[in-house]
Amino acid sequence: MLADAIAAERFRLLRDRSAVFWGFCFAPLVGFVLSIGGDLFLHNVIKKPMPGLGIGLIDQVIKALSTGASTFDALFLMIGAAAVLAGDYRWETWRLLTPRNTRQNLLLAKLVVVGEAAFWSLILTAVLSAVAAVIGAGINGKALSLSMFGHGPFDILGVLAITWLEVMTLAALAAFVGVLSRSTMGVVVVCLGARFIQTILASSLRLMEQGQPSWKLLALPVFDADLLRAALLDPAQLGQASGSAGPALIALFAWTAVLAAGAVLLFRRQDLTKE
Amino acid sequence: MSIALEADRLTKTYGAVRALDDFSLAIPAGGVFGVLGPNGAGKSTLFRIALGLVRPTSGAVRLSGAAPGDITALRKVGAMIETPRYPAYLTGRDTLKMLALESGLKSPDIDGWLERVGIAHAADRSTSGYSVGMKQRLGLAAAFFTKPELVILDEPTSGMDPAGIQEIRALIVDLARREGVTVILASHQLDEVRRVCDRVAILSKGKVVAEGGVAELTAGEARLRITAASPIAQILAVLGAKGVADGADAALADIRRDEAPALIRSLVEAGVEIIEARWRDADLEGVYLKTLERTSEEQGGDA
Repeated sequence: MLADAIAAERFRLLRDRSAVFWGFCFAPLVGFVLSIGGDLFLHNVIKKPMPGLGIGLIDQVIKALSTGASTFDALFLMIGAAAVLAGDYRWETWRLLTPRNTRQNLLLAKLVVVGEAAFWSLILTAVLSAVAAVIGAGINGKALSLSMFGHGPFDILGVLAITWLEVMTLAALAAFVGVLSRSTMGVVVVCLGARFIQTILASSLRLMEQGQPSWKLLALPVFDADLLRAALLDPAQLGQASGSAGPALIALFAWTAVLAAGAVLLFRRQDLTKE
Repeated sequence: MSIALEADRLTKTYGAVRALDDFSLAIPAGGVFGVLGPNGAGKSTLFRIALGLVRPTSGAVRLSGAAPGDITALRKVGAMIETPRYPAYLTGRDTLKMLALESGLKSPDIDGWLERVGIAHAADRSTSGYSVGMKQRLGLAAAFFTKPELVILDEPTSGMDPAGIQEIRALIVDLARREGVTVILASHQLDEVRRVCDRVAILSKGKVVAEGGVAELTAGEARLRITAASPIAQILAVLGAKGVADGADAALADIRRDEAPALIRSLVEAGVEIIEARWRDADLEGVYLKTLERTSEEQGGDA
């Protein structure tokens, strides 16, 4: 049963403290430390009040969540995803698991657990960014408000969902590469490379295009996620491109579904002679 | 009679290597079935195909009547394939907990099984610090603790000390006889197979070359051992090609039971002073080696 496989994977991940810390806690913690460090630097070294009316709590959370799948964050998320998705090749433990559940359930459970862990990692990012905003306001004596741009809690949920979907596209790629390469290192290198190349391609193509984004841009999950966040938070800024939010959402879902299905199909046919 | 594992014209190739070659075997449910064969005979490949770890090139295999990968059948099967490995971040107890969750077990007797296989003292230690023998014991607990109807064990006592081997052997027999679990066991330790198994199949180059009850296989290979006060050369001269020396004062005659009176008469007529003549059942090792030798000669002849 899929539920059994998910419970087992969740149990395993919670015991793998190294993967939990480096994969799903480290990047949010770094963001928190850098934010506080920046505020302390302003207060103690620059010693000048920075322009601006104050700090918007929701804005800070949205900003942190929007970059929750950046190349830096993706590096650590993929370390955690690789431990879950390709760890059994590393430990040679497929022979222990495969006789207890179907191949499809085993791999889908891993993907679900990576999705859960990524979700909690984003929640940690949101909470720590809110805490950092409060501390930062205190350090620099800035006024703390809910939002400077009229954003509300539903915007946080929207950005959380979009960034999570963006992460899941990477996680599905990680599952595919994990099965194909049978290597945790392969997962990290390929997924990070894919994330980095997408960022460069998206910014280069966008410079060359005006108006509606082309299919080439819409095929890039990084661009799709940015477009969706912009469409949610500031649709006026997008102009004509706001009409592409639907195709962008479909593209994100399609990438996740196709890569996940590809990984499952490949895994179902794979010989586990020596994992 | 129900069948625990059935292979039908199974072939598996790895590049140019044929690990299983048109392999057919039906292992009955109940008791302990031994699978013997030299390295590369196809034992592990057979088990891996049955458990859904490897796909056959052609042919079919059924485990408790179901195709490999069928979750209903898998839930009735326990297995330990080669030296078991575990994620290093899990303790022995956590490993069984994780496997219990994977198998959908609600209240597994984890502590009881850790006790039964003799590693309760190390239950909360990381498996990365386990010796090979301890890993084998944990693997056995993992194979048995889900209360399976069929257990597949590949070299279950390799890396264990003699006392451990004896303990595990007793456990396997106990589970098979008292709890009615069907055990399919591959081992290089022929003495272990002889003591534990009811039936065996001998594999060579991906094919079954002999199959039957242990007593049945060894009975057909019995030889007459003749001890005499006369020089051994005198006995061997009478026995000819059918005789072979067995120590300084005895010889083994490879004859049928009904040929014994005539042979003894010939020996007496030749002046051999016979002290004793008794039938000696062949051991499994003898049968095994002889079968492999015969198969090798046949295959050589075919080539």
